[in-house]
Amino acid sequence: MKLKHIILRSVYIIMPAAIVMAFLWAPPAEILGEASRIMYFHVPLAWVSVLAFVVSGVLSITHLADRNRRFTGLDEWAYHSASTGMVFTILTVITGSIWAKISWGVYWNWDPRETSIVIILLIYIAYLSLRSALAHTENRGRIGSAYLILAMITLPFFIFLVPRIYDSLHPDPIINFDRTIYLDGRMRVTLGVAILAFTLLYSYIVNILNRIAILNNTVEDTFHEDH
Amino acid sequence: MVSEIIRNLAKDLRVEFRSRFAINISLAFAVIATLALSLATGGIPFPPRVQSVLLWLIIFFSAMNGLSHIFVREDDRGTSLFLLVSTTSDAIYLSKLIYNLIFMSVLLAVITPLFVFFLQVNILGIPPFIISVLTGGLSITAVTTILAAMVAKSGGKGPLFTIISFPLLLPVLWLSIFSTAATLESTGPHGYGTQLFLLAFSGFITALSFLLFRFVWLDE
Repeated sequence: MKLKHIILRSVYIIMPAAIVMAFLWAPPAEILGEASRIMYFHVPLAWVSVLAFVVSGVLSITHLADRNRRFTGLDEWAYHSASTGMVFTILTVITGSIWAKISWGVYWNWDPRETSIVIILLIYIAYLSLRSALAHTENRGRIGSAYLILAMITLPFFIFLVPRIYDSLHPDPIINFDRTIYLDGRMRVTLGVAILAFTLLYSYIVNILNRIAILNNTVEDTFHEDH
Repeated sequence: MVSEIIRNLAKDLRVEFRSRFAINISLAFAVIATLALSLATGGIPFPPRVQSVLLWLIIFFSAMNGLSHIFVREDDRGTSLFLLVSTTSDAIYLSKLIYNLIFMSVLLAVITPLFVFFLQVNILGIPPFIISVLTGGLSITAVTTILAAMVAKSGGKGPLFTIISFPLLLPVLWLSIFSTAATLESTGPHGYGTQLFLLAFSGFITALSFLLFRFVWLDE
């Protein structure tokens, strides 16, 4: 078995371990109590949402820069990363809203990080809409890649901008009394394992989607050769 | 390249002047939206922040009705291939960008006075207000010109242009709303930091769009 497959399949062990650690091993936080355990799901989901977006953008740049077509299907990979990322982003918004309701008493209040994740979600929706509108167009991959690059380059402007407009309520003042992100050793380890587990899950799903796409292309090519 | 840009721009302006389709649709939308708002409020002025939000919403949706037309028209009439044969992709992008800037200027020149008149907007800092509207309009045009080409390539399907433009235009709309509201609320000295940021953003996006345009417009 290839090393890649061993790494990807380790998600079968690491994900259950992360869930058990999140619910049973990590201690509850000082103020939030048991509700703080949502952190072990919300933070990794948010991390993967951004990671998937960056991976899509980098794959898009590579796709456009690769004029000699040394790598095939990079635009498809970017699409798979973005579509998986969108699911993770929706889950980030849902878990974040639940956490916000528990901590701040409201589901949504346009906190800078809430705003940033919604913008990523809107970009995913726009990109997927554009891709579906470009179905049966030869340039689908190139146009989709150009859009993702534009979106990825615009995002840092937002990250620079949003905190200057709205004050943040995000965890710094919420988790602990001393207004810093202080995590107990076990909390830190659990969060690290959860981030690793969700990153592996994302890689595992994208890898499956890529393999399905390769198989589909092979079937189509064989069909065209036969007819 | 300059002659190619001028020739293409003159052609686009002549075609638009003959039909006046895109500009009529955009202006009609702006007039209807402004009058509907004014009618609904019965002449009672909104707070400055709300006025600023409404102004930029009308500018945004009016622009969405017209800015994609310049590329969609080429695809509708089947002239995009001839355009490619006679003009380089760089010249096409620049001429369409200049056309859209002219289009946006006409939109702003009509929408802004109309909005100020009908919604009883009290502008406390006129020069910063004008600069704020102009830089916002410039940024909207800079971002949406390449997106219009993408929409044209997809067959100009309905509201796709608005859907793909909105996430990229959010920083522009956000800043424009805040800076315009500031010019309506305060008589104090106005800094031009926001406007400079929008100018830098427009320049950056234009440069990136210029680099990416050939991948969008030229077929593989």
